[in-house]
Amino acid sequence: MDNKKSNQEIDRRDFFKKAAASVTAIAGTSLISSNARADDPAIMHHVPWGQKWGDPVTKNRYGMPSKYEHNVLRRNTKLLASGNFRASIAVTPIQESMGIITPNGLFFSRSHGGVAHVDPAEYRLMIHGLIEKPIVLTLEQLKRYPSVTRTHFIECPANGGQEWRGPQFNSVQFAKGFMSSAEWTGTYLKTILADLGVKKEALWMLAEGSDSSEMGRTIPIDKVWDDAMIVWGQNGEALRPEQGYPVRILLPGWEGNLCVKWLKRLEFSTEPWYCKEETSKYTDLKPTGKAIQHFYANEVNSTVTSPSPEIDWTSLRDGDIVEIQGLAWSGMGTITGVDLSFDGGRNYIKADLKGLVLPKSWTRWSYMHTYKKGEKLLLTSRAMDDAGYIQPTIDQEVGVMGVEAVYHRNAVETWEVTETGKINHVEIRTMKEVKDA
Amino acid sequence: MLKFNKKLILSASTAAALAVLTAGCMGGSASTSNTTTEVNGKATIDGGSTYPVMNGKTGPYYVNPQVAADAPKINNGRVPTANELAAWNTDIMPDGTGLPEGSGTADEGSDIYDAKCVACHGDFGSGGGGYPSLSKGNAYDLQKTLTNNRWKDPEADGPVREFGSYWPQASTLFWYIKDGMPHPFTKSLTDDEVYSLVAYILNINEMKIDGVDVDDDYVLNREKFLKIKMPNRDGFEPNIDGPDALNDVRAYYANPTNFGAQNLKKGAVRCMTNCQKETARTIYIKNGGIKDFLPPMSDVRSLPKEKKVAVDAAAVYKNTCEMCHGNGVGPGLGAKSDWAPYLADGIDSVYKKGIHGTDGGMPAKGGSSLSDADFKTVVDYLINGK
Repeated sequence: MDNKKSNQEIDRRDFFKKAAASVTAIAGTSLISSNARADDPAIMHHVPWGQKWGDPVTKNRYGMPSKYEHNVLRRNTKLLASGNFRASIAVTPIQESMGIITPNGLFFSRSHGGVAHVDPAEYRLMIHGLIEKPIVLTLEQLKRYPSVTRTHFIECPANGGQEWRGPQFNSVQFAKGFMSSAEWTGTYLKTILADLGVKKEALWMLAEGSDSSEMGRTIPIDKVWDDAMIVWGQNGEALRPEQGYPVRILLPGWEGNLCVKWLKRLEFSTEPWYCKEETSKYTDLKPTGKAIQHFYANEVNSTVTSPSPEIDWTSLRDGDIVEIQGLAWSGMGTITGVDLSFDGGRNYIKADLKGLVLPKSWTRWSYMHTYKKGEKLLLTSRAMDDAGYIQPTIDQEVGVMGVEAVYHRNAVETWEVTETGKINHVEIRTMKEVKDA
Repeated sequence: MLKFNKKLILSASTAAALAVLTAGCMGGSASTSNTTTEVNGKATIDGGSTYPVMNGKTGPYYVNPQVAADAPKINNGRVPTANELAAWNTDIMPDGTGLPEGSGTADEGSDIYDAKCVACHGDFGSGGGGYPSLSKGNAYDLQKTLTNNRWKDPEADGPVREFGSYWPQASTLFWYIKDGMPHPFTKSLTDDEVYSLVAYILNINEMKIDGVDVDDDYVLNREKFLKIKMPNRDGFEPNIDGPDALNDVRAYYANPTNFGAQNLKKGAVRCMTNCQKETARTIYIKNGGIKDFLPPMSDVRSLPKEKKVAVDAAAVYKNTCEMCHGNGVGPGLGAKSDWAPYLADGIDSVYKKGIHGTDGGMPAKGGSSLSDADFKTVVDYLINGK
């Protein structure tokens, strides 16, 4: 070993040139046994971080990612830039996501009046309306309720919603990254309500935020008594401001905007409220001219994250064995299976689930593929859940919903693998009115 | 006898194997956790699964049995005072609950609109500042466009989903203006101002109340407001009003064909071959698609060359200022005549207004987090166009 810097450009270029030459020279023989290849400077030279003190433990009292991960970022686009990025969204790089948890700093960020910064000392939650005993809770009092911890994704129902009339984003981050997943800690709302005497005629609950848009949504009582949570923890720490610090409501599986952030008030009533974000937006217009309102659950869905337009196959060699993997999720239940197609959803084979398979949670799936140089594929995944739902074809979904719906698009998605291994977002569909799909 | 028995056993095991296969194909019924799509004999509200606590668990999660419905109640917090309730209980419902007394005309609304709203929502609610438009014309005519679908031709006329043509309730508009507008300075309008703005928005949507045009002089008050019937009041499903609403919602989501879903529960086997329509083709992204990602897409790990540079005024303009200043809202980039009236008080006055924001809609520093010095550089760029 010598003290030359391993990352000197000249060394690297030299190495790769030699390496390429030696691969050519020994084509057909085992790469592992080759003595003809150049020595890798990353191995042969001392590395700078191997000979000098690293940081003391007194640095970074709150740890940060490696500086080399500087491109793993939430991103936004001007198409979705309303209100000078205050009624807007920044989406998660799911192409870089591992497992079924999104790091808090990469959790997608969507607000209707900007990210509020709530002082926990001034935090109050008011619960009132059709209940025997209205209450006000401080944050400390709220956290005294028995806690539960659950892993759930949160998805904006506009995830994939720019593409009802054809593909637009050549990117999995933008085509499917309007969602993230975390392990949430809080208390079941029903635990708080047990003592408050919710009246029988109360059918609806308003959840309202304290942010500048006073974001509100009407929630049916069924969800309140089922699995609705009031959460203050996100992946083992306090909620991030972007996720509603200090408290948000979490309705497992349901539209992200229903999971009101910076939560300040819950009110019970016999009638729904017709909030702005459940009338002007988050309603799904059908070709009949009627729009679906109160469209709660994000339906069963899946995507291939690798390969993807961001993570292509251009560096694969003939015969390489590569993992095709992705995410499957359903706000209506637990993922029971994922199928994979190589011809755009015409024919499917079964892929395998891997890791934890939890209700209303991201689920990883995998298929090992032997790559043939120059092969052209249309990769399509299709997920199913334990409520019996399966992703529709685009023609099936558009046949009912038309092409003006905006939200809740969960038809199967296709990546084209080109001859050179580049990946393109395409759609397999009939581009005209589809009847009897 | 023996033979007969064997046959019996064989056929029994075949049946069992078939049952397993069928269950597998039904895509879900073979789940290991306790799950159901019914609660107390009723369908779930969203058509999905729920996981009742059984054997101490909900789905895969253990629960503490001491935290049960019949456990001792946890008595936290305190009862709010009447004043506290009144301070926070400010929502406005379709039946008029929460709607304050007050009045205003479309004419008055027009003045407030020009002072506080036009910067973002454009002339006569036409939009353009990166914020939604508020009108595209006659609400009753435009409501009829809601059946338009751009199946094939993206240039065709699509549905117009404006306040007038789409929203089911006017209460939503009053409530949202009162609580959420103007967007950078919310909860700053009086009730009379909100009545005026609502009258103005009804006016530009060419709407009537009780058969009467909401013209410039129309005095809108609480009584008249409650008579507004939105053209698209019946344009939504499922029904969510009245004592039977939740049954209607449950029934709606129990039927997948209502919302474009496919469900295998009714014994259907999932398709594994020839699953696309014959007419389906590969559709590609047109014209490169949307690519203006901020920051640009990259998976590069090596570090960017570090160099301390002055603020990139052109980039700041593009990302922060252009949405308004590039759309005729506020003085334009390098537009001398636009800037002249602002510069009459001197450049320091322009800087100051920019840094602190104005009632006319300019957010402080345009909503950026630049230093004062860098912000001034951007202001110079905006004025000079270079």
